[in-house]
Amino acid sequence: MRNYLTAECYKVFRRKYLYLTLLVVLALEGVLLWGCWLTSSWGNEGMNFYSAATLVAVMLSIGAYAPVLTCDMVFSEQYKQNTLKNEVSYGLSRARIYLGKLAVSTLVSLLAAAVMVALYVAGCWVLLPHGEQDAAAFALIGYGLAGAFPLWLGAQGITMACYFLVRNTTLAAFVGIGLLGVVPGIFQALGLLFNPMFETVRQLMPTVMLEKLPNMAFQADYLGLCWLVGLALLVVSTIVGLAAFQKKEVR
Amino acid sequence: MTQDVLVTHGLTKRYGNHPVVDRVNLAVERGQIYGLVGRNGAGKTTLIRMVTGQSVPSDGELSLFGATGGKELAAMRARTGVMVETPSFYPYLTARQNLEYYRIQRGIPGDRVVDQVLEEVDLANTGKKTFKNFSLGMKQRMGLALALMNRPDFLLLDEPINGLDPEGIVEFRNLLLRLNQEHQTTILISSHILPELANLATCYGFIDNGVMLEEITAQALQEKCRACIEVQVDDASQAALVLEKALGMRDYEVLPGNIIRLYGCLDRPQEVARVLVEGGAALLSIESRGANLEDYFLSMIGGVRHA
Repeated sequence: MRNYLTAECYKVFRRKYLYLTLLVVLALEGVLLWGCWLTSSWGNEGMNFYSAATLVAVMLSIGAYAPVLTCDMVFSEQYKQNTLKNEVSYGLSRARIYLGKLAVSTLVSLLAAAVMVALYVAGCWVLLPHGEQDAAAFALIGYGLAGAFPLWLGAQGITMACYFLVRNTTLAAFVGIGLLGVVPGIFQALGLLFNPMFETVRQLMPTVMLEKLPNMAFQADYLGLCWLVGLALLVVSTIVGLAAFQKKEVR
Repeated sequence: MTQDVLVTHGLTKRYGNHPVVDRVNLAVERGQIYGLVGRNGAGKTTLIRMVTGQSVPSDGELSLFGATGGKELAAMRARTGVMVETPSFYPYLTARQNLEYYRIQRGIPGDRVVDQVLEEVDLANTGKKTFKNFSLGMKQRMGLALALMNRPDFLLLDEPINGLDPEGIVEFRNLLLRLNQEHQTTILISSHILPELANLATCYGFIDNGVMLEEITAQALQEKCRACIEVQVDDASQAALVLEKALGMRDYEVLPGNIIRLYGCLDRPQEVARVLVEGGAALLSIESRGANLEDYFLSMIGGVRHA
């Protein structure tokens, strides 16, 4: 397995895709930081390190969609390029292939998230005025990340399953986004129209939980629920994806 | 002592109710170059894909180096080198990066392995050119490089010379022969280019409509295809005596149906006919025969189709 993980890292970290994506996201962060700094420099006292840095907690739900990109980087259109046959025909088990790609895409997601959060918070720290609430900002960001981490893992599992099960990469990305972003909306409508049970289920969907996370700050129960739901989604989606991949024709 | 590298028993692949490979029994012995012959859609690639694990058999068994399933079979696949259909690699990586990726993934030791194999297939000077910019011939060479990188005991090659230029075909043939003779590498090769296959194979398997029609050694095939004059007479034993006496013929065989195959006097069929008639034999037919691999295959599938 170690060889497989090393090889996947060798491939991914040689792709321009990873660095270009990171560059675009960091540029957007730069624009946001510049806006915060400009607002602060105009004399708006409400704009300080706390108010800008805690935006991280609000933006955590965006992280649920990041696996669409990181899974794509790691999976590398293997069905389209027909490269899976090189792995299967050498006797590498399909479980190793699946879990290896899941592990590396998760690693890439977490590294990218760490770089983005660290640079953004560092930018806020350097550019914006500080106050008594600095420590509270770090605590809120910490809580948010602690709750978001398992939910991101769940989203990663769902998205990777889509890439393995759907041969067309673009369609796989759409299915992944649909499951994470559109299904909660459908369940909300079903909850309003038919049965409140749908709304209860919606509340356990990763993007909805991520949106709620800043409002549930420092509630240990909610944090526990995030871990339970996130890990359950990761395990179930991986079992389903792996079971289907075992029987899939590789061309 | 012979050792079977690959054996299949009743190997079958069905899509719906349609069998693409139908109860194929096949045996490839160690050191053989096994030529798999069949027209388009005959089931050659599907058969190879089942052996390589890309496709799950619907029925039947396969044994690779004696391993029949599970982790053992997967481990034995690491002793193979495979090139099935068009070679596929990551388009945004160079030849060296692609092979280095697979070297790391497969845990093949040695930093020089990639350079050596690139030199062997004449791709050492491709530099920063990425795979997507390779010609078809270069892609074929890359596929071969990957198949050879782990120094396999068993090579499975599906249409490997597609896209190679004449010089490349000769180099490729010599490389396979060298691997077979110097390293006892067993090779299973499918190709449409039957004359090329005839230059390599020591054994043939003829497949059509998913069914294995015949397995035959190259020597036996040569015997079957040997040039001869075939005569049909009313009394074969009497005619044989006449031929021996008049022409000194010794190299012949008598087949059922009063048929005699003569392997001498090939340039004098009229003299054979004259001697037989003058010797009192009733000559029913006489014809010059002889076939190559192509003719043999076509006769087997019952006529000219797309071989």
